Amino acid sequence: MYTRTTGIKMQSIGGPIGKWLLTIVNGREMDIETVKERAGPREFSAKDDMPEEYRKAATRMIQFHANSEIMGAYLERPFIRQAPSLERKLAFSAKTQDELGHGQLLYRAAESLGVKTRDEMLDELANGEGKFLNCFHYPMESWVETPMIAFFVDGAAMRRQATLKNTSWEPYAHAMDKVCFEEGFHVKHGEAILHELMTGSKKEQEMTQEAFEKWWPRIIQFFGPTDKQSTHHGFASEVGLKQMSNDELRRAFLNSYVPKAEKYGLEIPDTPRITKNDDGTYEVNEDDLDWDEFFQIAKNEYEPGVGQIDGRKKAQEAVAWVRESMDKHEQTIYGGGESPQAAD
Amino acid sequence: MIWEVFRQKKAGDYHTHCGNVHAPDRDMALLFAEVQHGRRMPTNSLWVVPKDEIGEVDTEDVAFGGTTDKSYRWAMTYNFEAAAEEVAASESEQSEAEQQRRSVVEGDD
Repeated sequence: MYTRTTGIKMQSIGGPIGKWLLTIVNGREMDIETVKERAGPREFSAKDDMPEEYRKAATRMIQFHANSEIMGAYLERPFIRQAPSLERKLAFSAKTQDELGHGQLLYRAAESLGVKTRDEMLDELANGEGKFLNCFHYPMESWVETPMIAFFVDGAAMRRQATLKNTSWEPYAHAMDKVCFEEGFHVKHGEAILHELMTGSKKEQEMTQEAFEKWWPRIIQFFGPTDKQSTHHGFASEVGLKQMSNDELRRAFLNSYVPKAEKYGLEIPDTPRITKNDDGTYEVNEDDLDWDEFFQIAKNEYEPGVGQIDGRKKAQEAVAWVRESMDKHEQTIYGGGESPQAAD
Repeated sequence: MIWEVFRQKKAGDYHTHCGNVHAPDRDMALLFAEVQHGRRMPTNSLWVVPKDEIGEVDTEDVAFGGTTDKSYRWAMTYNFEAAAEEVAASESEQSEAEQQRRSVVEGDD
């Protein structure tokens, strides 16, 4: 592969990091004003010499997304075993496998920015530095909680992911094509569980309502703080990484999922207060939500979440021998060169 | 090591780029490609290629097809009698290709 500016053979320097070094040496990276001007759907790829600020912002966003896929999969994994029927077991197993695959796709999209390698990001997740979605810091203990993730959280995620098909970092958009293709099954499977529970015994319905009340505020916080409080929104949106603001996404989610929840017989909790506008859209009273807990979670300091991070770390350590044997194998075949990375 | 993955949906189709995987060798690259890219999408065949072995040239490097008048090489330039069916089909493919090419060159993006 040749760079446009110099014609120096890139593989001699090695991958995205080499390319990044090359742009620093040449001082030819795109300036931020040009990035903002050009920012559009799938506008930038590894061929473009993006400025550090863009690459860092994109890495932060995609790494967060990748981490969330992995942590979500670990949260749902116990329910492969606890599923009440063979069909549900198969579906949960397929879904968990999908989510881990999404994590891998996204780490590749993040790696292509040349800021961090996949190994570094996986290590950051293990040692508690890697950030991920608020909802996946809470424990999930009962089968009636599964649709809270599989229907509502996945539904919220899909709403956001659909907009990210138009993100400006092309490898991220490509990952979203595949993620959205697979995610439809997850959300509809979650909806099927919710439907089953809400047409089941009175006890099942009550337990589901209880789980819904526990999860509802967290689900609304999925979209993060209001735009005013969001620290990263401005830049990410100016350079086309983010396509819709937190507020817009939250409103879009409420507009389709409040009626769905009600249709299945769930009662929307009194807090946070949600008002219906004249045009039929919904608005949340943000002050009713526990933002202290949210920001504690955002720092990876919320207790159940810490346990979940450590649980995954142990699993990663348990299969270290697989990674090491593959790395060693690659070294024997191809020698040194690129930093060795085999599999998660 | 990164391997680029190309998927063919059904026999006779082209292999189209669909993503990439980390793998220590070609056999494992095929295995990971199978799990990551052939598990859910319709797939008849997969190729894996070491990323570093892929070369690229794009519209910023060259003007594909040149910039001078090349009308002599299009079927549309030569009109006499009605053409035989397969010749007319070829001409309509060429006509479409030229239109697409022109809209790219003229900055339609």
